[in-house]
Parts: sequence; structure tokens; C-alpha cells
Amino acid sequence: MALFPLTSNFQEDFVLQLLAVDTDNTMDEVAAAAAYHSVGRRVAARPGHIMRVRRQGSEKPFPRTMKLNDAGLKPMECIEVVWEAP
Amino acid sequence: MATLDRHDWYDLARTTNWTPTFVTEDELFPPELSGSMGLSMPAWEVYDEPYKQTYHEYVKVQREKDAGAYSVKAALERSKMFETADPGWLSVMKSHYGAIARAEYSASTAEARMARFGKAPGMRNMATLGMMDEIRHGQIQLFFPHEHCPKDRQFDWAHKAYDTNEWAAIAARHMFDNMMTTRGAVGVALMLTFAFETGFTNMQFLGLAADAAEAGDWTFSNLISSIQTDESRHAQIGAPLVSVLVANGKKAEAQKMVDIGIWRAWKLFSVLTGPIMDYYTPLEHRKQSFKEFMQEWIVTQFERALIDLGLDTPWYWDQFLQEIDSQHHGMHLGVWYWRPTVWWDPAAGVTPEERDWLEEKYPGWNATWGKNWDVITDNLLAGKRELTYPETLPVVCNMCQLPINQTPGPAWKVRDFPLDYKDRTYHFCSEGCKWCFEEEPERYAGHLSLVDRFLAGMIQPMNLEGALKYMSLAPGEIGDDAHAYAWVEKFRAAYTKNTA
Repeated sequence: MALFPLTSNFQEDFVLQLLAVDTDNTMDEVAAAAAYHSVGRRVAARPGHIMRVRRQGSEKPFPRTMKLNDAGLKPMECIEVVWEAP
Repeated sequence: MATLDRHDWYDLARTTNWTPTFVTEDELFPPELSGSMGLSMPAWEVYDEPYKQTYHEYVKVQREKDAGAYSVKAALERSKMFETADPGWLSVMKSHYGAIARAEYSASTAEARMARFGKAPGMRNMATLGMMDEIRHGQIQLFFPHEHCPKDRQFDWAHKAYDTNEWAAIAARHMFDNMMTTRGAVGVALMLTFAFETGFTNMQFLGLAADAAEAGDWTFSNLISSIQTDESRHAQIGAPLVSVLVANGKKAEAQKMVDIGIWRAWKLFSVLTGPIMDYYTPLEHRKQSFKEFMQEWIVTQFERALIDLGLDTPWYWDQFLQEIDSQHHGMHLGVWYWRPTVWWDPAAGVTPEERDWLEEKYPGWNATWGKNWDVITDNLLAGKRELTYPETLPVVCNMCQLPINQTPGPAWKVRDFPLDYKDRTYHFCSEGCKWCFEEEPERYAGHLSLVDRFLAGMIQPMNLEGALKYMSLAPGEIGDDAHAYAWVEKFRAAYTKNTA
């Protein structure tokens, strides 16, 4: 249970943003935290879609229920938060 | 008293040099301060600057220039320029003066370095005049905005900016200190006079002067044109130096310094000059787009200068040409969205007409940055202004100190360029900035970006209030939309129809 900073790269936004999350957060919670700073601000919401988190350069997203602590990400590492159709 | 004709004595005077006998050459010209790469004195003595001037001529000409600039200002002081100008235009002035006035003064230090430690006598002479030029530029660009200080506190930032940790001031200082105050005489000549002044400053001082004339701001137009005439002289210190280096087997060293100078200059211009030309200058006064000015001054003229001197175009040239189309759009969106963190009021510049112009000049704009602006515009129309203010920091590049941003929308090309060096991970906005770091890592390794400082707990409280305090932005100085969001009403009719 510790504060953990990440670099958020939200799909279709224009800029990388500082994301303060917790090591106990699930990937769904990390995605929601990232969305707070992009969706409805500069990126249109997509009703019915899920958001997935993946490490930059990886095609495969992390499992939704995986905890941040278990993802092996380094502080301020860049994650891509991408839409997944239902 | 009869004076000799200039051509009777000029060449003798400017090549006068001496061989030290009481101290060694290295004691007189410490290698780190001269940056002379081990070249012998005779190698330097062939340096031949194209634009020659005597001190007598300098005083006479400069006095006339100042008389002209100051008299235009005095004549127009009664005009209602400040009261009647478009707020976007006032923001052009505020951002310009704040970013540049103290940097000019700092440049006199750089010129002084060449004046004292340049091994070529001609270089020392020209740099002595250049040093006086930069003192002029610092003073005149502090004096001119001063008349507006009683009307608008943001004009105080012409002097204040450089003493603050406001993020754009950090970016400007990082770049200028890197390029000019922390380099030897040769480094200054290559990075400041050749890379920065020969190419880029024409954008801000001549391209912008054209827009200023269009806007009817004759004081400002005349001022920056006058400044640029000095620049045209002292910017030419660098080119003959390139010839000396290339002729003496130092092409690679010269190329590297020029390449670093160009890249660093480019990023600063993308955040300052780009938004000014394509968004703050009222549409009807835009002579050319930022890209068109860049094509004219940098891509055509400067590229030719590089080749003529025996250098190559920088390794990143293709990437650079791509970035001319795009980088400044993201910088503008970032500055506008994070507007509380700047000392001027950014004009959004995205009314329907302006968006049509942007689409014309940058095909695809509406499908990229336009998509981000659609969401912002809808929020403003729906009365949700709070969603157009930031609640976190952008991640900034550990080199240029600017938000890491690339093309948004369906074409989404945003990415981090990370690098591990010793015990730290650095984040960069591009291969170019990362490369600058890799070329001289120890120069930069200890620097903390604003985000690094935030994460280290140096900004308290850890929120916007704390950030504004850290950046010395007080109420009355904090930026907001230049037109108080009035531009949004141009979308009201269509919005009402669509949401009915």
C-alpha cells in the first residue's frame, strides 16, 4: 500500500501525464485514474468500452485484476491506456 | 582632424595579435574557455568575418538605430495600442518579453566569452560589438514593456520570468545556459551565433515583425526589426569559424555542436514562436503560417548555409521536417490547457474560421488536435469549464523541459523516449532530445525537471496551489483564456442544434 507514480499515455490524447496511483490498485483502477485526466477533458468517452493498461511497446495488456505491485513496472514508467471494444 | 579611410587600416587592426611571452598560450587562452580544439594560433588567424565594422561606425549606426526605435515608441505612447489591441496580441508581447529580455542580457555574457577567449582576433572584435548589441537588446526589451506594467502585472514578467521556476522559464534557462553561458568561445560561436541566431531568431524577430506590422503594432514591429539588424551582424561570427574547423579536420566536432544547437533551438521555438504565429496572432494579421516561416528561414536558407560551409544537414533532419508540421500544435494545446502555469493569457485560436485556416495550412489538423479541442469546446459550451483546467502535471522532457507530446486523435503517436543512465531513468520527448543527453550526459545528469522536483517533494503542497507558488505566479499574473472564452459562442448555434 504505497503511492506509485506512473507516466500515463491515454489513447488519442496528445500528451504524457503524471499519474499518482497506489501499488494495491488493480489495472482497472489504474486505467480509471488515467482516464480521469484525459476522458471528458480532451478525449471523448466511449460508452460500453473497457480500458486496458499495457506497458509502452507491448501489444498485450496487463490482466484487469492484476495489482500494480505485481506488474513489474518501474516508477514513472510509461503505460498506454487503450480502449477495448465490448 | 583628418581620419584615415577605413580600408587603409581596417585589415591591419583586425588581424593584430600577439605572441605571449610572460605566460603560455594555454594560460592566456585556457582550452576550456576558448574551446579551440587544439588548433594552432596561425590556424585561427585566417578567420575572416564577412560583416566588418569599426567601433566608430558601430557607435554612429547604433545611435541612429536607437534614436529610431525610441522615437517611434515615444510617438506611439499616446496611441491606444494597449487598450484596443486584440488580447491575443498582448499575449504575444508578454510571452515574447518574458522569455527573451533577460536571455538577451545573458547572451552578452556569451559574447563576452568570445571577446575574451576567442583565439581569432577578428572574432574577438566582432564579439566585442556583439556583447554591446546584447546589452542593448536586454535593456531595450526591458524598457519597452515597462510602460505597460502599471496596466497589467503580467508585463512585469519581462524582468521577473528569468528569476522564477515557472516551467517555461526553466526551459528557456536550460536551453540558453546549455548553449551559451556554459560553453567555450567556439561552442558559443557554433551554438549561439551560427545555429541559433543565423536561422531561428529570424523567425521570432522578422517573421513576427511582419505579423506585428499587420496588426498595426508599429512600436513592437520596429523594435524587433531594429534588434534583428544587430543580429544580422553578430550572427555571422560563427560561419567563418565553421570554415576554420572544417579546414583543420574538426568537421565532426563542429557538426555535433551545430546539431545540438539546432535541436535545442527548435524545441524552444516550437513552444514560443509556433503558438504565437498560428494561434495568438489574430487570423487577419497572420502573414504566413509557422510552418511557412520555418520553411523559408530554416529549411531553405539555413540548410543552404550549412551545406555551403561544408557541413551536412543534421542526422535528424527528416524527423525535424516532420516535426515542423506538428510539434507546435501540441505545445499550444498544452500551454492553453495548463494556462494557469504561464504568465500570459493564451488565446485558444480555435474558432470555426481559425480551424478552417489551420486545416488549410496543416491538412489533417481537425482529425488530430481538432479532436482534443472538440472535447474542450463542448465542455465550455456545456458550462463545464472546470474540466478544461488541469489536475495533474504533464510529464516533461528531461532535456527540453517541455511537455512530452506528439500527434493525438485516431493517428495517436504519443510516446515516451526513456533512457537509463547510472542510477536514474530519464524521459525524453524525442530521439533528438535523447541524443543531446547521450552526447554529453554528465552535463545534464544532475538536473531535475519540474516533475522530478515534484516527485522529490520539493513542491509543496503537492497540488496546483503549491505548483503556482513554486513558480512564483501570483493572482493577477496567472494565465487564463485571452478572450475570456467569448470565442466559444461562435460554436453555440451549431451546438444548440445538435443537442436539441
